[in-house]
Amino acid sequence: MKTKPAPSLKRRLMVFLLAAISAAALVQGITAYRTALQEANEIFDYHMQQMALSLGGVNGGGRGSQDDLELVVQAWTAEGLQVFQSTARAGLPQRAVLGFADVEAEGRRYRVVSVQTGGQVVQVAQELVVRERLASRLALRTVTPIALMLPVLMLIVGWVVSRSLAPVERVRAQLAKRAAEDLSPVGEGGLPAEIKPMVQELNSLLGRVQQSFTAQQHFVADAAHELRSPLTALNLQVQALQRATDEPARAQAQNRLESGIARATHLVEQLLLLARQEADGSEHLPVALAPLLRQVMTDLTAAAQARRIDLGLLHTEALSTPGNAAALATLVRNLLGNAIKYTPEGGRVDVSLYAGEAGQSALIRIDDSGPGIAEADRGRVFDRFYRTADAAAQADAIPGSGLGLAIAKVIAEKHGARLTLGQAPSLGGLRVELGFRSATRIAP
Amino acid sequence: MRILLVEDDLMIGEPLLDILRAEGYAVDWVRDGELADAALQSQSYDLALLDLGLPKRDGMAVLRALRGRKQRLPVLIATARDAVEQRIAGLDAGADDYVLKPFELDELLARIRALLRRASGRAEPVYEHMGVSLDPATHEALVDGKPVSLSAREWAVLEPLLARPGLVLSRQQLEEKLYSWKDEISSNAVEVYVHGLRKKLGAALIENVRGLGYRVPK
Repeated sequence: MKTKPAPSLKRRLMVFLLAAISAAALVQGITAYRTALQEANEIFDYHMQQMALSLGGVNGGGRGSQDDLELVVQAWTAEGLQVFQSTARAGLPQRAVLGFADVEAEGRRYRVVSVQTGGQVVQVAQELVVRERLASRLALRTVTPIALMLPVLMLIVGWVVSRSLAPVERVRAQLAKRAAEDLSPVGEGGLPAEIKPMVQELNSLLGRVQQSFTAQQHFVADAAHELRSPLTALNLQVQALQRATDEPARAQAQNRLESGIARATHLVEQLLLLARQEADGSEHLPVALAPLLRQVMTDLTAAAQARRIDLGLLHTEALSTPGNAAALATLVRNLLGNAIKYTPEGGRVDVSLYAGEAGQSALIRIDDSGPGIAEADRGRVFDRFYRTADAAAQADAIPGSGLGLAIAKVIAEKHGARLTLGQAPSLGGLRVELGFRSATRIAP
Repeated sequence: MRILLVEDDLMIGEPLLDILRAEGYAVDWVRDGELADAALQSQSYDLALLDLGLPKRDGMAVLRALRGRKQRLPVLIATARDAVEQRIAGLDAGADDYVLKPFELDELLARIRALLRRASGRAEPVYEHMGVSLDPATHEALVDGKPVSLSAREWAVLEPLLARPGLVLSRQQLEEKLYSWKDEISSNAVEVYVHGLRKKLGAALIENVRGLGYRVPK
């Protein structure tokens, strides 16, 4: 398949510049040629006139012709008697009219000037062919430097164009020879102002790609690491089941194996959920927040009741925010699920939804009476697989993958929402706030 | 043989504890670094199976403290930390071996046997003395080439004695090989097992050194 070659900046510059230079040289050459011709004519005329005037006083003597200019000189007395003729061949008519004229004689064309001085009429004539030959030789001499300069100019232009585009080529070469995983910035030194911003943008893009590449690598490494423990457990649980000699031991081993599988499944599901949320590019539609809160709370009622936790909705507003309803439900479920999980039995979890100024923004707040999160940990709990020392210490009682808040954060970021942790003033536990920047009031 | 299992993950610790006990080891299980430190200082173990990512005190710190106290028991690290540098750091801090999670159980047991064997100063995998041979890998006991069936407890008493013929082990030392913390120890348990062993293997195999304990003659 033939593809049209990409337009080359260099070729284009060369073609247009060289064409422009050639055209300019041509016009200049023609103009110079014509001006030179015209000026030569004027000079010859002046010369002839001066000669005629000077000959008037000589009275037929002295030098009669100027060889190089091939002038024909004749002189008459006032009575019309020819007193002098420089060459016999001309056969020019005697001109009574004074001044310049073009005259034809014996098939040749002459430029003639007649001057009356001291009772004589002096006529100086020059054959036009000769004059034109001389004039064009002069004009050509004027044009020659231009013609000679043309190729030199072209060479200079070619060199300058190549030199100016060299940084582009250098950047290209730098990029061409790097390995696929090399995302280090391209050198910006010595780049012209037109190209530098482009390379800077390229570098900033490379930086972002590098960042997400590193994040992905970390994620895969973390995931592999986190999967080792449940896999080890499964492996051991299967071995224990195989080695069990009596029925109670077998039943116990089977129970443990089942919970091991449940844990591994949960971790893999959370990992998939996280990966899916990170890649999610679905369209954002208006999501009514109050029904969403009620739905999630209904789903979690059983979990709250099992731990005798008083779960309540304190305040709502009829608000909607653009988003992905399923993702937002996951986000709220993770936050609320954590609150229920980490609040001691018999505790309290309050949920509320507030409208911002003029209903342009929305705030979901979840307060609990649990132990809260130490200020030092608040920044890190959103990291993948990070579990606070407290959470790790009670890992048996409260199993967790360390991914719930990481997933919540990704979803919040996808919705441009702000997720903040603090202390619940009245309940004393953790306060989680989820602020949506844009919201719309809807009919309740 | 008495093993300290240091593992914070309940789902790994529970089956591992059962399996090691079924193998005839007396096993104590602790789930954080501080408890591991305390156990290593107060009890005598033949081997420690150590996880690195522990609550309260990292496994590496536990290991360094242990070696700092000049305790020589073999330490086998079993961890999910797989980077080469971490493995090197673990071995350099005094671990004798390093296995990565998820490990093959049979391999882990073989490594434990190898470390125990080395610690008792032997290279050959089978104990052989006075016509009695014990294979810790298969738990096969032979007397003059004929198989004899030993209970796990009998095995636990015989193995340390046969590992170092001539060395006297006190009743208390033998009890430590038999039981972990939580087990109820009956006062004459060791005598009962020694009696059983003498019956199966011949009375001359285990000598009673009065006031001191028991030994297998050199």
